[in-house]
Amino acid sequence: MTDKPVPKDFYAMMEELQAVDFVLVELTLYLDTHPDDYQAIQQFNEYSHARQTLKVQFEQKFGPLLQFGNSYSGYPWNWKDTPWPWQI
Amino acid sequence: MTKFTTRKTYRPYVSPLDPCPPIKEKVYSTPAQLYLGFQPENLPQFTAKEALYAGTLWKLLYDPYYGPMEKGRDDE
Repeated sequence: MTDKPVPKDFYAMMEELQAVDFVLVELTLYLDTHPDDYQAIQQFNEYSHARQTLKVQFEQKFGPLLQFGNSYSGYPWNWKDTPWPWQI
Repeated sequence: MTKFTTRKTYRPYVSPLDPCPPIKEKVYSTPAQLYLGFQPENLPQFTAKEALYAGTLWKLLYDPYYGPMEKGRDDE
């Protein structure tokens, strides 16, 4: 676990990722009870696509977000370098 | 006509034997979801960032319950 501070745009990108995640959570819960709402499903797919591209950008800069194959790893094994979620 | 607000008030009974200074008017919040029933489609939404801070995606369901003394009471 490195103690050097993270670069400035870490927080900006993390906030954007969290915003997209929150929208996805809301839409998932909404779609559970509204399965045939076409607009919401379209919005859901837009945001999930946006989330995937955001994830790739984020990971190129700050290392993997998830583990067990859900994120690529850098060299050397670096999933423990960026601060943990409760530390950011 | 007064501005629409989600706050409603009631006046509790104040006993003459009550030692403490009575609270004459009690305020309670009645957000839209109490009256909403099944949520209709295509309700107006916040942007992603606003939704993150508001706590909900749909403007109608936004219900910040600030205390009487707290600032930031935009729906008062």
